[in-house]
Amino acid sequence: MKAILSIATFLVVSGCSSLGVQPWERDVLARPEMSLDANALDAAIDDHIYFSKEASSGGRGFGGGGCGCN
Amino acid sequence: MKDKPNLNAAIAAATCALLGTSAAADAATEKERWSFDSSLLYYGESDSRVQDISAAILAQRDFDDERKLSLNLTADTLTGASASGATELNRPQTFTSPSGKAIYNTPAGAVPLDDTFKDTRFALSGSWTQPLARLYTFSGGLGFSTEYDYTHLGANTSLARDFNKRNTTLSIGVAYSQDDIKPVGGAPIPFAQMQDVGNLTNKRGDDSKDVLDLLFGVTQVLGRNTVLRVNYSYSDSSGYLNDPYKLLSVVDPVTGDTVARVAAGGQGPNGVYRYESRPDSRTKQGIYAELKHAFGAPVMQLSYRFMTDDWGIDSNTLEAKLRWPLGADNFIEPQLRYYTQSEADFYRSSLVAGQALPEYASADFRLGNFDAVTVGMKFGHRTEAGNEWSTRLEYYQQSGDVPRDQVIGNQANREQYPDLSAVIVQFGYRFGL
Repeated sequence: MKAILSIATFLVVSGCSSLGVQPWERDVLARPEMSLDANALDAAIDDHIYFSKEASSGGRGFGGGGCGCN
Repeated sequence: MKDKPNLNAAIAAATCALLGTSAAADAATEKERWSFDSSLLYYGESDSRVQDISAAILAQRDFDDERKLSLNLTADTLTGASASGATELNRPQTFTSPSGKAIYNTPAGAVPLDDTFKDTRFALSGSWTQPLARLYTFSGGLGFSTEYDYTHLGANTSLARDFNKRNTTLSIGVAYSQDDIKPVGGAPIPFAQMQDVGNLTNKRGDDSKDVLDLLFGVTQVLGRNTVLRVNYSYSDSSGYLNDPYKLLSVVDPVTGDTVARVAAGGQGPNGVYRYESRPDSRTKQGIYAELKHAFGAPVMQLSYRFMTDDWGIDSNTLEAKLRWPLGADNFIEPQLRYYTQSEADFYRSSLVAGQALPEYASADFRLGNFDAVTVGMKFGHRTEAGNEWSTRLEYYQQSGDVPRDQVIGNQANREQYPDLSAVIVQFGYRFGL
């Protein structure tokens, strides 16, 4: 498991090293709406609704509490 | 000489910038250390099924050195009816309520709904995030939720490391939760038959389940306007995984009608119904990818999720949002989501009388084969003070079907899978203190 993780980490990090921007090119990425967690509350609400109505759930991050939803 | 004050100011600004102590920025963070995102939501299903009013608040406080506290409080009030799993018949049906103290009826030609459903749920979660060493970020959180028949307690932690001038972030997270289930009237014994009012021999005490989640994530800046996140998730649940309120009709092998039963004094079911039986473990795996791209001012968010589990359910989810500014202070955001899942290996629309019981069976429609579409629109307005109002309107529609080989006799002429539609209205207000 440790070896697989190390190899995966190496591949991702080395494979991605040609991608990305310089620190002074982060103007657009720094806009609040470009954050991957820009709408954390909406995401939590949606996850909770779909968790109650569908068989699959999660994947984005850790949920905000269980539920015996019917 | 005329330029001297400007030069001094420039030197002072440069010094501050180098020391990382911009006076203006400090004043701003002092002013806005707490930020709140609040929401009031109405969720309503058609045909007087589940109605939910939910209030939520997410409070975040930033501390120095990029340390952050996050608290989320949610309160839900649920009422309405929920499809029980029993099949539709052309005669009225009578059921014993989950408490075992009363009966409820379903008219002929209607999908049986359990309308004894009422609940209030409170959920509280909190997390703490802080840097650890130069390129590492640690996060730890706790979650708690409670409702009449269910209590959840969970903890999670994650560690992230930045690479490539912070263009790549790798993260690993673990979460564990312990849920206690105290069904109204007790947890039914799997496959036990529904009994007359007052007879609780088919029920036993409370039960519990444990869930372990693992998450591996990569976030990658792809360019000046684009960022990508990919997660692999693994989830292992064990313990009581049944829905204590779900039923299966026991049907005649030729007509497909529920086998009739005579209740003592009419105080019990007029057909044979059994409670469901699911495996006591479930392993899920998923891949989630999310892309954000700015086309100038508009921002598009695209996400895709594939999930598979050892119950035989595979699902695909595609979601798209496009945030489109209208002037400097307003935006609209159309949202579209498509979801499709295959049924669990043990999904059965009914049990056949005279046949041996399978090892597991459930007629819960959420374990069936269905597609769902959500169409929505969000409108947001930023106030002069920098706070934000928003309204979101969504329509959710599920439509599914029962495998053809499970449709017996008269069932072919009736609604086999109760399609569901719901309206979601949400008001949000985001502000800082």
